[in-house]
Amino acid sequence: MAAVTPARANALLLGVMTFAQLLLIAASVRGSMAASAVAAAVGVASRPVVAPEQSVSGVLLDLVHFFRDVHADERENVKLKLEVTRLAGELERTKALSEENTRLRRLLGMHEDLVPKSIGASVVTARLAGQSRVILVDRGEADGVRPDMAVVAWGGAVGRVVSVEREFARVRLLSDPNSGASGVITRSRVEGMIVGRGGEPMEMVYVPKYADVAVGDRVITSGLDGVFPRGFGLGRVTVVGEPVGASKSIRLVPEVDDRGIEDVLILLEPSGTKLLAPEEPEVRP
Amino acid sequence: MIVLWAALGIGLALAFELVLGRFVPDATRYVAVMTLPLIAYALRTSQRSSMLVGCVSGLLEDYWIEPRLFGLNGLVKTILGWALGGIGARFDLNNFWGRFASGASVSLVEEGLQTALRRLFGEAVAPVGIATLGIRAVAGGLLTAAVLVIVSKFGASRRAPRQKARKV
Repeated sequence: MAAVTPARANALLLGVMTFAQLLLIAASVRGSMAASAVAAAVGVASRPVVAPEQSVSGVLLDLVHFFRDVHADERENVKLKLEVTRLAGELERTKALSEENTRLRRLLGMHEDLVPKSIGASVVTARLAGQSRVILVDRGEADGVRPDMAVVAWGGAVGRVVSVEREFARVRLLSDPNSGASGVITRSRVEGMIVGRGGEPMEMVYVPKYADVAVGDRVITSGLDGVFPRGFGLGRVTVVGEPVGASKSIRLVPEVDDRGIEDVLILLEPSGTKLLAPEEPEVRP
Repeated sequence: MIVLWAALGIGLALAFELVLGRFVPDATRYVAVMTLPLIAYALRTSQRSSMLVGCVSGLLEDYWIEPRLFGLNGLVKTILGWALGGIGARFDLNNFWGRFASGASVSLVEEGLQTALRRLFGEAVAPVGIATLGIRAVAGGLLTAAVLVIVSKFGASRRAPRQKARKV
């Protein structure tokens, strides 16, 4: 019988490990409990490394913010005073518009929940590779976060929660090749699907080739995907190319720069996506 | 003892990867920090240990950063550990150019294997530009060479007192 050389033993070990990990990937795709159990074990084993890393990162981040803020504060102060004066006028106008809006909605016999319930979260780390663009945030199952919740930031939509642990959640960014959100161009109300392309500009697909789209148009969420409420910024059109098949070829730069995300809002109860049932008519005596 | 050193190396790489992702997230597109332990073990120790180190570091990466396919990075790094460990056993790559070439090629092959496996499991993949691959290869090569110089110096300083003791 031939002796088992180290090279053969290693090849055999490779075969076993490859098979086991292929099974693990398949199990995780199916959402099996076995994959979750292995993942949980890996998480528990690595927590002693990550906990101190988070503390050190937090201190470093605070220091960076402190020095940046001290510099920016004085200039910001002057700007803010001017802004407050401008906003006071704006607020008055908005109040009047809001009252008018309520009146009109009553007239139409419907109302819409415009403020989704949300929770703030800080970014623990990010991976912005070509094939996988994801951020890890410090809110999880314990805070009421669940898969498929929308994540937004100042300026627009960021991504979708894909998996949740007790204390943190993984968020797939809109620029990830496996992400998608339904969008609408604010100027012409043309609808389409926004898909990520890794580090490249995002693409708007399923737009008829005769649709009215121009460079500079702003695209917002339409609310049709059932994840993002309508009205969150997605991006601005930068290229309108020759149609490919029946669809226009449209590229857009994202409204929120993935590289600068530090804090986000997780929408716990995505609302504003649907028009609710008409209110009960008032009963007059 | 070797297990403790491996755990320390993987732990440091994970911590560095997470810090990098927090402060310079764009760099994670070009730099694969979690491949460093497997390259170090492939060039300095055995094929089997580089496979195991690759598997563990990949699974850790999967847990913390991979959104859907848990086990993908573990599988890719196991294969890389086996391949580089085998080459490292036949050729002396533990010099500057050997380390640079190992780091550069591992960065590129990792990207290719990941893309292929993602396709296999039904994920959409984005086109990768030649410039991105070029930067990734150079960054991977330089980082590997730099880190292994530090590891070698540290290893030498650890061994030195033992040699002295033997002379005495």
